Amino acid sequence: MEDVAVLGVGMYRFGMYPDLTNEDMARIAGMQALADAGLAFKDVDAAYVGHIFAQVMSGVRVMKEFGLTGLPVQRIENASATGSATFREACLAVASGRHDVVMALGFDKMTAIAGLSGGSPDGMEDAILPAAFFALWATRRMHERSMTVEHLAKIAAKNLNNGALNPMSQRQPTEKITVEKVLGARMISWPLTTRMSCPIGDGAACAIVGRADLAKKLRPDRPVVRVIASDLQSEKYAPGHLFQGPVVGPGQMTVDTSKKCYEEAGVGPEDIDLVQVHDAFAIEELEYYELLGMCKPGEAEACIDRGDFELGGRVPFSTDGGLIARGHPGGPTGLAQIWETTLQLRGEAGKRQVEGARTGLCHMMGGGSVCAVHILQRG
Amino acid sequence: MAASARNRVPIKPGFFTIPDDPNEPPKIIGTRCNDCGEHFYPRRAICAKCMSENTTEVQLEGHGTLYSYTFVHFPLFGSTNVEVAEGYGVGQIDLDAGPRMQMPLVGKQDEFEIGQPLVAELARMREDGDNDVMIVRFRPA
Repeated sequence: MEDVAVLGVGMYRFGMYPDLTNEDMARIAGMQALADAGLAFKDVDAAYVGHIFAQVMSGVRVMKEFGLTGLPVQRIENASATGSATFREACLAVASGRHDVVMALGFDKMTAIAGLSGGSPDGMEDAILPAAFFALWATRRMHERSMTVEHLAKIAAKNLNNGALNPMSQRQPTEKITVEKVLGARMISWPLTTRMSCPIGDGAACAIVGRADLAKKLRPDRPVVRVIASDLQSEKYAPGHLFQGPVVGPGQMTVDTSKKCYEEAGVGPEDIDLVQVHDAFAIEELEYYELLGMCKPGEAEACIDRGDFELGGRVPFSTDGGLIARGHPGGPTGLAQIWETTLQLRGEAGKRQVEGARTGLCHMMGGGSVCAVHILQRG
Repeated sequence: MAASARNRVPIKPGFFTIPDDPNEPPKIIGTRCNDCGEHFYPRRAICAKCMSENTTEVQLEGHGTLYSYTFVHFPLFGSTNVEVAEGYGVGQIDLDAGPRMQMPLVGKQDEFEIGQPLVAELARMREDGDNDVMIVRFRPA
């Protein structure tokens, strides 16, 4: 990807907001991103809006909150990867030369998920609790490798404690979360407890994307954050493929998508300073340590025990708390990863700062399934 | 008995059979590719392996091996069957014919073991007027 930069970022803290509308949250996140970029809404040439559960036309209606300038507005939806796919479209629009300043805006209120609002399941897949599909990964891993429930709890505790350092995180525990506290939480689908799982919530996040020279002109006081790779893939067939359930597809999809990004960016996993992943459940993050190439197959457990992925470790994962702490409204999540990575690469991440962070990777999955990977780099 | 006189309907048509004889086990409805021989569940028109349109809908035996399992600690959504009120097992099952599927399992967590043989059976999910809405689940053989 040539000459694409993140000009500004903004967020509405993820949480449960029965009294807030998508319009409220999205407008605040968007205005924050514009202010961060040093731009006004009239400077935006195009908008990509990501949401899963809001009804049709919500994206266009939300954009009118900023003003009616006649700009093109396009909704993007790709399940949990909606925010990442939205960001990707904004990057492609700038890279193509078609638009100079593009807003990527995601929002969602997750209490609209079926099951919470009643009704009957349509087929067997909808009746089975989504967490079960991820729990099945965990059981298999315990069978094939040396994984124990403590490894899952260590990941969850790390993410919850990271979230405590992030003012935008939905879960900000006031006490240190221990392995015991994670294991002692309510069981959802063995071995996954509530503390190993992302919460339900609402929120919004925004990134303004433009060329790198514009970023330098607008904010000469701080480093430019470039988008140096972007890829999106869906599932490839292999024997034993699971066609049903809200699973996030075979592990190979993460391998293939990230490999394409490493090639595009001219970097390897060893060059990545921090990583955000789709940790809807702790078992996912564990698999992604290997699938993204940060450790060899079968070595994730040893790396976890060594503290490789903690803040201050070899390659921190989920520095903002991940989905487990920071939250996971489908539309904005991918953009929250961009928010965090951008702040980290600028050196603005406060207590979460990864020292010398230069290159960050953002990985998202969408049920159905797709995988979206981006690599951002300072300079 | 009143139960065997009720009409049994699938939760969604096209995924498994409901034999007339209530003692007969269900078959799993899938697809066989006539060009490369691959089998699929659920059924599909185009082969996912070789992209051929030369496919046939087939009924697969409900015999398989347990690939993975979990136990959900919540009632099965949409079910009025008391068996699943406290929770239910879920498995990934490799059918002998090849496809992998995800379905409820009968039993408690400590009864499941990766690699164990399983057989499919019908179970009532809930009632809908005069009909029993049926699902497929797997039981250790």
